[in-house]
Amino acid sequence: MNFEEFFRDFWWLIFPLFGMFLVLTGAFKDEARANKAMDMIKSYVDQGKDPPPELLRLAGVEEASSKQPQGRNSGAWTFIVFTALAAGFGAGWYFLVRGGDDDVAFAFATVTVTMAVLALGALLILIFGRKS
Amino acid sequence: MTVEVELFRDFWWLTFPVFGMVMACWGMAKENRAADEIIERARRDLEQRP
Repeated sequence: MNFEEFFRDFWWLIFPLFGMFLVLTGAFKDEARANKAMDMIKSYVDQGKDPPPELLRLAGVEEASSKQPQGRNSGAWTFIVFTALAAGFGAGWYFLVRGGDDDVAFAFATVTVTMAVLALGALLILIFGRKS
Repeated sequence: MTVEVELFRDFWWLTFPVFGMVMACWGMAKENRAADEIIERARRDLEQRP
């Protein structure tokens, strides 16, 4: 198998691999940042000083109280985005299957199922997630 | 027609999602720089304030 064949068969893997990379990097960076901010807040408290609000925001301390209405809207928006993506890729899959192009249709079906599961997850979090 | 030209003809549309990925990486790097700056400013403030 040469590079061209390899690329033609597996180009769609770019998206899930990039998604995984972004999620993992984001999670590690968020945790490191929150830890650094918490250490700094501890230093402020040890010296009897008030930590700056942007530092509290960075550590996620102020999130629950200040971002509640926006957080709910953001969850609804996430659901809408994933639903739209699932619908778009689903439509693509349908037309490809009708056209008889089963190889590419498989990639579209995979993305459709992934987006649908993400949309369902966003909906469940929206309904059953923490509200206060 | 060369392999590169054929690949580009078939996959030109990939430039759009790849551009999105580059922008996402850039946004993440920018966000990290801003967070580091907040922490650094807080550290300086902590050292300077009596």
